Amino acid sequence: MATTFLLSGLALLLYLGAEAFSIAHLRKEKAAFGLIAKILLSLGFLVHFGALEIGGRITHTVPYRDWSASMSLFAWMVAGSYGILRLRHRESSTGPFLIPVAILFLAVSLPAHPLPPDPRLTGSEFAFHVTLAILGYAAFTLAFVLAQLYLIQIHQIHKRKLGLLFSRMPALDVLSRMHHTSIGIGVVSITVATTLGFIRADTNWATIWDPKVAITLLLIAVYVFCLLAGRLLNWSGKRIAWLSIGGYFLLLFSYTIVNLFITQEHVFR
Amino acid sequence: MSHPDESPLLLVGWDFRQTPVELRERLAFTPERIEEAIQRLRQEGLLAEGVIVSTCNRTEVYGLRGTAEVEGDPLLVLSRFVADFHGVPPQEVQTAGFHHSGADAVRHLFRVASGLESLALGEHQILGQVREAFRFASNAGLTRAVLNRLFQKALEAGKRVRNETGLNSRPISIPGVAIELAQKIYEDLAPRRFLILGAGETSSIFYDLLVARGAKHIEVVNRTFEKAEALCKRGGQAYPWGELAARIPKADVVVSATSATEPVITREDVRKAVSQRRGQPLFFLDLGIPRNVDPQVADLDNAFLYAVDDLQEIAERNRQERQREVVPAMAILEEELEDFLAWFGSLAVVPTIAALRRKFESIREAEFDRSLEKLNHLSPADREKIRLMAQSMVRSLLRRPTEALKEEKDPARRLERAEAAQVLFDLDLEAKG
Repeated sequence: MATTFLLSGLALLLYLGAEAFSIAHLRKEKAAFGLIAKILLSLGFLVHFGALEIGGRITHTVPYRDWSASMSLFAWMVAGSYGILRLRHRESSTGPFLIPVAILFLAVSLPAHPLPPDPRLTGSEFAFHVTLAILGYAAFTLAFVLAQLYLIQIHQIHKRKLGLLFSRMPALDVLSRMHHTSIGIGVVSITVATTLGFIRADTNWATIWDPKVAITLLLIAVYVFCLLAGRLLNWSGKRIAWLSIGGYFLLLFSYTIVNLFITQEHVFR
Repeated sequence: MSHPDESPLLLVGWDFRQTPVELRERLAFTPERIEEAIQRLRQEGLLAEGVIVSTCNRTEVYGLRGTAEVEGDPLLVLSRFVADFHGVPPQEVQTAGFHHSGADAVRHLFRVASGLESLALGEHQILGQVREAFRFASNAGLTRAVLNRLFQKALEAGKRVRNETGLNSRPISIPGVAIELAQKIYEDLAPRRFLILGAGETSSIFYDLLVARGAKHIEVVNRTFEKAEALCKRGGQAYPWGELAARIPKADVVVSATSATEPVITREDVRKAVSQRRGQPLFFLDLGIPRNVDPQVADLDNAFLYAVDDLQEIAERNRQERQREVVPAMAILEEELEDFLAWFGSLAVVPTIAALRRKFESIREAEFDRSLEKLNHLSPADREKIRLMAQSMVRSLLRRPTEALKEEKDPARRLERAEAAQVLFDLDLEAKG
């Protein structure tokens, strides 16, 4: 466990370094800063994977058993999703706003309080269910931040506040595409995770229905609507961004209130 | 100004600040004429090497003084040469221009390369123009060690200012601001659809700008269809005025520059257009005075409207921001200037000869001491004879190189010889003798 802790700490430092150089890159627009940020983020991602892998070997499963392990996995998924977005859209100026999400969740996961392995929560099917669900949450978290950046950029254009932030932030269409990609990753991941969950519940639970399932289906519906509303209903990017933010509050509700107080099956104990 | 008669680095120039455009046009050089002028200056011994920077805003002749003994100020002689070369009265040329020598000439070139002397403060095209002028002169064999180093330093200084300050970070022209704004809505403008209203001068400027930016889909709507067609001769599609409402929903960016006295695009037009665009934003640049687009369009979701006043205000704000960057830019230039002058100073002949003597004397002393340790049987008188012989040898060895450095009349060649001596004998000019 000490190794896991040390590697997680190192990953956190690398993410912090990546964040510092991303900010420097945003301010100064020096290519070298952007490159260093990319290298530090990649190294952080690999070291973080090492920490999760060692933790997984100890518990013989994907690290989701306890809250801190799942937070660490979540942070890793955020860093990975951001890496995908960066590669896909060749856009690095959102780094200073998205990397802190990974930093925050990895930092809160560090004081680990591991729970003993639960024999009921094993098997590849279950591992994929939880891993994909966390990937979906990570992607929706990035979409949440990107939606805010989109609204900020629109506000700056409308109000003629064309300062440094305006000039450095990506164009509206780039932010919109990144937002769309994040939601796409989230929807696919959550949908597959939910399907795997149904299969498992069908064999292990008395009924497949659970408040968590209902709220997840609602969440999927909201995000699918975000993906289609522009093309089918002529919704503006601004309205879609607001809906995406609303969807994220639903996700937070699902992850906190529902997990802690309502569901009997989706709970850390 | 430094003392013109003391420094071999010379500059005469005419720029937009003090020279009327008619005279600048007459003093401009084509590449062929640049080569001809510098070759003549070299043949006449006025310059040993030279570079001419000739753009629409400036003509500047940089050079290293040649071997000719000139009567009076060499800068005025150079200025007179340019006047004669172009067939312009010398008096007219001299009063409308400027001249510097030494450090002032170097500083001026660095300022030019960084855009500090440009009409649009901080514009970066000038760096490319200076590079091109230097490349041309260098390829034509018109430059040697000093101007090669000077222009390389100037290009370095210009690059540093561009990278390390915000002097060129934001546009300061109306079209530049408009394009920057459009690129904050659609990053890549090339595949976007542009609709230009009007076919006058402003529309034509924007049409050229968009074509230069690689825009592939440009439509022009004008009350006089023939004028719209004429504007589209380099690509794009002209439409009659009656098609306006039908073309708006198809466009991503609408540039309006008509002379209409009332708005030609209403809020209702835009509301309908936006509702047909599947959520894609629509950007209006209203360059008409009075306004061509109803200001209430700005309140619509997914429609963005900037009028000419907004663009002017942004351009002015950006101009003030650039002005604030002049001080840090100058600090960079002074650093580079100091660096160049240190190198240039090191090429002076006297310090080189002194360093050469120190070097030879130190070798003589070391070898003499080492030899005497093995010759203990010699009497003091014999030792003295050997010491004098060694001194004489060193003097003889140094005689010819010293003469070669001192006698050379051509300053460029003299500096090259000094530099060669420094490299060949690994001379330390800083050391105290």
